[in-house]
Amino acid sequence: MKPKLKQISPLLFEFEWESNVSDLLLQQQLSFKSAFEKEFSTNLCELRMGFKTLSALFSIPLVYIEIKNWLNSFSIEESTIPLPQKIWQIPVCYADQTGRDLEALAKAKQVTVAELIALHSKPLYRLHFYGFLPGFMYLNGLPKILHTARKVVPDREVPVGSIAIGGAQTGIYPSSSPGGWHLIGQTPITMFDADQARPVFASVGERIEFTPISILEFDRLKRHPMKPKFR
Amino acid sequence: MKPERDIGYMKILKTAPGTSVQDLGRVRFSQFGIPNSGALDLRSFVWVNHLLQNKDSDAALEICQPGLKVQFDSPTMIYLAGARASAKLNGKVLSNPGLLPIQANDLLEIGAMEIGAVLYLGIKYGFQTEKVMQSRSFYSGITQSDFAKKELRIPYFTYKEVPASTSSKVKWNINWIQEKVIDAYPGPEWELLSKQSKEILDSYEFTVSDLKNRMAIQLNELLPNSLPEMATAPVFPGTVQLTSGGKLLVLMKDAQVTGGYPRILQLEEQAISILAQKKPKEKIKFSLKTFS
Repeated sequence: MKPKLKQISPLLFEFEWESNVSDLLLQQQLSFKSAFEKEFSTNLCELRMGFKTLSALFSIPLVYIEIKNWLNSFSIEESTIPLPQKIWQIPVCYADQTGRDLEALAKAKQVTVAELIALHSKPLYRLHFYGFLPGFMYLNGLPKILHTARKVVPDREVPVGSIAIGGAQTGIYPSSSPGGWHLIGQTPITMFDADQARPVFASVGERIEFTPISILEFDRLKRHPMKPKFR
Repeated sequence: MKPERDIGYMKILKTAPGTSVQDLGRVRFSQFGIPNSGALDLRSFVWVNHLLQNKDSDAALEICQPGLKVQFDSPTMIYLAGARASAKLNGKVLSNPGLLPIQANDLLEIGAMEIGAVLYLGIKYGFQTEKVMQSRSFYSGITQSDFAKKELRIPYFTYKEVPASTSSKVKWNINWIQEKVIDAYPGPEWELLSKQSKEILDSYEFTVSDLKNRMAIQLNELLPNSLPEMATAPVFPGTVQLTSGGKLLVLMKDAQVTGGYPRILQLEEQAISILAQKKPKEKIKFSLKTFS
């Protein structure tokens, strides 16, 4: 499916897809993005992704019709790029000490804590884009039963590495921050490192798997940090 | 090859919250969730560097509240622009700051801001704090400092030449800072607004609230909001969001790169500069622009 084009300001354009958030849509977005970057590289300042959107900011004003004409001639079939196969394994300690809302959430969902952990760690989650905080992944794939409205009163501080659920999303806090999501665990992995040329390890389109670890293992990995593994 | 330059330090003796080193910001790092950052009022920032014959990208000190006192340990040249603020050098009031030659141990104080809300202290060759991801703009978790606090020593290159008198009295025209009208383009979710909401945005005055920082400026007036929840989408400095409670939030330079609230207006750089210079309780009025 082709996206709709909107001009927002003389420098800003947005493409919007009407389909539901899915791997297929992400694949279309990424293929489209790569073709667009090639075509308009000269004056393109940056591209930003959303679940159903792609925004293009230019360094000089562009004419709507120039982009519209390109969009009309663009063929999805010819330019589809498959999504990457890489799966990152993120160790998570699901426990009271690391996720203060774990028990309350299990109770609210009428499942045991063990069942909640199994529900959360079984699926593979697709990385759609980064936003909210530096290194914060927007992941798709949270089972419906775990969808939970955000807290009415946000927590003043969510600890770094927290695994949380908010609305239809699950995410990892790459730094400590105020936040309104329900905290169910914590990873010892560093999600964002400003000293690296590439401050994150996972690329958009790759997948994330949460692997449960004990509190002992969590403490050990905190003392002896390791890079995340992938398969 | 550049000649070797000596390093000097400007020490913060006193500051209110909201003082930071800023340059043009980090442009291509939003893909990792990193905000733009950079000068809130780009117009004044660029002017400061222009007058000092610096590069556009050289870093300056951004001051968002009165009550700054700094000491320089080596000679340099500085220039103040943006808000009209009272300033003292070694206790003497500066009537028209212009280009200011600085000697070792000079004390600079910034007092009340009479007009405007953001002042730039530019320095010859720019401040030399660490560059992280192509920018020296302070941001929590990216640079070592998130804001300039008491005792912080900010490095710069020393400079001993006295400016030619002709260039030192260039008048900084401040009229635009008092402009009430803010140009705005309809945002991606504009069409979802009711006719009434559109009319309110196009004709009513809005008031800048106390909730004003480098991330966003909240406006006092509420707008009825019956828009559906939306999938998280890109936002930019200058995006005006309508929150679920009906509050209007104008995103500024440190705003996150994506958001879940409807994006009802989009301001361009010139409009962001004007808005950045507004104090809490000041009035603004949006002027809607369209594409013909």
